[in-house]
Amino acid sequence: MIRGRRKHIAAVAAAVGLVTTAMSGCGLGEKDETTDVEAGSVDPTALEGVTVKVGSKDFDEQLIIGQLTLQMLSAAGADVVDETNIQGTNASRQALVTGAIDVYWDYTGTGWINHLGHDNPIPDTQKLYEAVRDEDLEENGLVWGKYAPMNNTYALAVTKEFSEENDVTTSSDMAEFVQQNPDEATVCLESEFAGRPDGWDGFQQAYGMEIPDSNLTEVGTGVVYTELDKGDTCNFGEVFTTDGRIAALDLVPLEDDKSFFPIYAVCPIVTEETDAENPEILEVLAPLAETLTTETMTELNAQVSAEGLKPEDVAHDYLQEQGFIE
Amino acid sequence: MSTMVDPSVSPPTQIDGGRRPTTGSGRRHFFTWRDLVIPLVVAIAVGAEVYYLNTAKLSQIVESQMTFDRISDSTIEHVKLAFAVTALVLVASIPVGIAVTRVRLLEPFALLIANAGQAVPSIGLVAIVALVWEIGFWPVVISLTLFAVLPVLRNTIVGLDQIDPDIKDAARGMGMSPAGVLFRVELPLAVPVIAAGARTALVLAVATIPIGYFIGAGGLGDQLMQGIKLSRNQQMFAAALFVACLALILDWLGGIVERVLTPAGIR
Repeated sequence: MIRGRRKHIAAVAAAVGLVTTAMSGCGLGEKDETTDVEAGSVDPTALEGVTVKVGSKDFDEQLIIGQLTLQMLSAAGADVVDETNIQGTNASRQALVTGAIDVYWDYTGTGWINHLGHDNPIPDTQKLYEAVRDEDLEENGLVWGKYAPMNNTYALAVTKEFSEENDVTTSSDMAEFVQQNPDEATVCLESEFAGRPDGWDGFQQAYGMEIPDSNLTEVGTGVVYTELDKGDTCNFGEVFTTDGRIAALDLVPLEDDKSFFPIYAVCPIVTEETDAENPEILEVLAPLAETLTTETMTELNAQVSAEGLKPEDVAHDYLQEQGFIE
Repeated sequence: MSTMVDPSVSPPTQIDGGRRPTTGSGRRHFFTWRDLVIPLVVAIAVGAEVYYLNTAKLSQIVESQMTFDRISDSTIEHVKLAFAVTALVLVASIPVGIAVTRVRLLEPFALLIANAGQAVPSIGLVAIVALVWEIGFWPVVISLTLFAVLPVLRNTIVGLDQIDPDIKDAARGMGMSPAGVLFRVELPLAVPVIAAGARTALVLAVATIPIGYFIGAGGLGDQLMQGIKLSRNQQMFAAALFVACLALILDWLGGIVERVLTPAGIR
């Protein structure tokens, strides 16, 4: 009986061992691609001997930014650990706070509304950045690095055909369309956007439109794009301005002609301790952030979302092109 | 066994293991105080949460999203979804369960499909149905039906199988047709087991509906996901509590229905 059980345990242990070896094997294989980077304009000794765990959220833009960060830091001599693709904003933030990761990038609007719990948006990019940076440092000991000039904010979008047929290219045009065809305007939104003060309710108020709740469909992020493209559920959809699927699906983001949506910049974030020990992390990333304009980010996103390229390859090519790495 | 028991000596209540209520002093009431426990607990929990939402200092977002109108709309949607799923599950699995107990060859195939429905991650099931079809109420209902068929199907099979063959023999001996045996003897006797499965399906449905939020299912999942995404814990907690209470109450109602449908003889 005892011998039987022991055999059993040994078998299970062997199986578990096999699986974990196989898994770690995979992990190492993948990691090699991203860590073999030679420095270009990046100082190759800036982070020598430092281990940096890099995180990111789980959508394409974040995966690309995560890979850009991994390769920049690696080029600067750091031993990087790929912890990208964390499910959701809160989990990513939590990972940073608990030390499971050392750095990830987040958006100033997300910091202000989601993480710091404020209800009222700040429309000015610089003021919003300063407010988030100061409060997060004081209250949570998190350091927000320099922000990238790109603006990833919300927009309502329509298909190209719809835009041409109905002559709708701005949010004011949308309001006019709604006024003329109150029953025809159907909108797909994410639940988060539906709840944010800088989201649906505020947008409707700013443009003076009132679409009944029965014409709204709340769906998940990715589903907005596909449903908008299909056109069965809605003819207007909430999108992120830098999303690669806008170009891929030939969608037209409506111009925010009354500048209602705040401009949300993206910044690398580390903890106070990390920054005190290795201020080079944010220093290395600062020149990268400077190059990330809305056009650049949209283009990189499209390469992943539309062309199906791997985030690590897109990041590698971009960094090479910019001369950060060889 | 029948040789061991002298029918003239053993009381008739022994037929189903002595659980049968006897007439006279041993008679059980249809409702007891125990039936009040769940509604009471739910009422206290909901009451406390509503009191909290009305008095506590809430984030502006939570205040605008957790209004009475929005919550009641979502709750009604949630109940509609849950009932639609349960109805479809019953309609799909009871006939199949009956067929399987008549034609045993079908059993592995039916269980294979039911097992697959439950084994596929429910979120994947929702996504697949939405991909090949569309988004909204019915796709969510269909995918959750596939997800919840297994307990009812299995319990229908078990419920029909566990009936003492002697009882069926006796029914046939009385001259009942196969359909008569099924509808007047087998199904009524299997009600407690089938109903247990149906209640499991109902609870599964209520608790799983929130994952349908991303294909526009509606229901309390909208408030729940919004609370999670915006880090508004008050809202997240309230929505989760309402979903749980809804599951408890619907399960409790299911218990009452089960009792009504169960023949008095085996109640």
